[in-house]
Amino acid sequence: MRIIAAQGQSHPMSTATERPVIEVRGLTKTYGPVRALDGLDLSIPRGGVYGVLGPNGAGKSTLFRILLGLIRPTQGMASVMGGPVGQVASMRRMGSMIETPRFPPYMTARQVLRWLALEHGVGAEVDIPSWLERVGLVEAADRKVKGFSVGMLQRLGVAAALMSKPELVILDEPTSGMDPPGIQEMRALIRSLADDDGVTVVLASHQLLEVQRICDRVAIMHRGRLVREGAVSELTATGERLRLSASPTARILERLGDRGVMDGAAVLANVTRAEGPALIRALVQDGVEIDEARWVGDDLESVFFTETGSTRAPEPSHAG
Amino acid sequence: MLADALRAEAYRFSLNRFQVFVSVLLTPLLFALGGALFHMMSKAKGDEAADKLGLAIPASATPVNLGEAFSFAASGSANGVILICMLIGAATIYAGDYRWESWRLISARNDRLSLILAKVGVIKLLAIATSLAFLAASFIFLVAQAIVYERGISFSIDGAEAGRAALIWLLSYVRIVQFTMIALLAAVMTRSLLAALFLPWALGFVQSILGTAMPLLGWEPQMWLPQLLMPGLAYDTLKAAVAPGPLIAPLTDATVWRSLTGLALWTVLPLVAALAWFRRQDLSKE
Repeated sequence: MRIIAAQGQSHPMSTATERPVIEVRGLTKTYGPVRALDGLDLSIPRGGVYGVLGPNGAGKSTLFRILLGLIRPTQGMASVMGGPVGQVASMRRMGSMIETPRFPPYMTARQVLRWLALEHGVGAEVDIPSWLERVGLVEAADRKVKGFSVGMLQRLGVAAALMSKPELVILDEPTSGMDPPGIQEMRALIRSLADDDGVTVVLASHQLLEVQRICDRVAIMHRGRLVREGAVSELTATGERLRLSASPTARILERLGDRGVMDGAAVLANVTRAEGPALIRALVQDGVEIDEARWVGDDLESVFFTETGSTRAPEPSHAG
Repeated sequence: MLADALRAEAYRFSLNRFQVFVSVLLTPLLFALGGALFHMMSKAKGDEAADKLGLAIPASATPVNLGEAFSFAASGSANGVILICMLIGAATIYAGDYRWESWRLISARNDRLSLILAKVGVIKLLAIATSLAFLAASFIFLVAQAIVYERGISFSIDGAEAGRAALIWLLSYVRIVQFTMIALLAAVMTRSLLAALFLPWALGFVQSILGTAMPLLGWEPQMWLPQLLMPGLAYDTLKAAVAPGPLIAPLTDATVWRSLTGLALWTVLPLVAALAWFRRQDLSKE
């Protein structure tokens, strides 16, 4: 029998006294009658990986676009790295990639990085070959980008966002269009940026599992407002239950009464951590054979659906 | 910040070899080759006619003066073909970031004023490069003339001539920049490369029609209205003021000032309007 630690992670985060890298107050953006952001208040601390979640139309992309100075808010205040949005000195401490980046088609990957390094004022400092290697584009370095797949453009965009060694990186859907190995590499890269290089990474993604795996904190947005914010480990710890893979399950359900429900072939026991060991001892005494017992929290997906009032798609049924 | 943007913009444009060729080299090359061909054909026709008449045409003892290349190049470096070729490069530079959706890559780390001024700076560099290429083409044209007609070569240019050539070169340079400013405004307002390419051309076409229709409209070149409506007329008027020909009546100071005002307004106003528009533009839409 194995007892596995509760799901959900805890990553080192900044101290509360440090100034946030991003701060928005009462941020509103309207497009005609549509309120893309509706008085958003958000403070993103320095350090770690911060996820911004929300269904389509929640205002994530609008928030990012305002933070990058691409659009102006209708109302409210936004600051990045301690300076107002648009202040070049502050913006130069930041890297970004919004959706799938596009580049002039006649340029090669190497030329793109050279061009953007010049544009960002770090032409002489950037080690372009090492960045091409870091994002897995060494072999495509001298190919024109017009032949690149979405995943390759995404990798090049990430290299462009990171090569000037920013303190803050904003990534919108950084793994969209990537194949599974690419997603894994990108996830590792993002974590290493935060853990090894001390970069604050703020990302938006629709992949909730991915966010849960790599983010330290998340903000859940819905209809232009912040509906939940906190450490991933805190958000997913609510509703923690003991998952028992054991047989016979009928005996477990009998002992648990209305505190036990089936979860596939296993049983979810709605007990506290203090009650757990006693429950396991009692079940063993009842003759239950326990293969595995582990604490499971709510996953981020559950929290997300609860907070945004969305519904999960039904599980696919398999015929035959 | 402007220096970074200028370096980056120049580097990027230099990689677009087709555009560099079209903007800078195509017209001078055509001029040089066409000129050499023209000399050869003229010579052949002349020789043929002389043969028929049984005459012998002696080679001219007057050497070809390569110094003339300067005034030749200065005057010709804002001709219609050059303007169109420069427009192709300008449209790419001004509207490329809309077309390739690359504004969001660069605008988040530099101020918008610098980004636009860098593009204008690259156009100015292109205009200088085109003028130099046209100067080289003018030399080739004259050397070809000397070779084909078996004439000697000399080089002489006096101070007054050099001064006039320099002034006309400056006017031609302003004319190129002015013409491409319309492309800037069109690119920023429409986000379209095609609009940046065709709107200045269409406007220039309308202005040339207006120029032709001036007598019908009762306009005189020295009037305010035509000078303000037609920068091409203003440019031609200023060239005539610098180097008056035998068929052109002396220009009054008032006319020169009107021309200067017209050319300056057509250069500055589109730039200011484009900057004002661009500062507030939503760059998340491409």
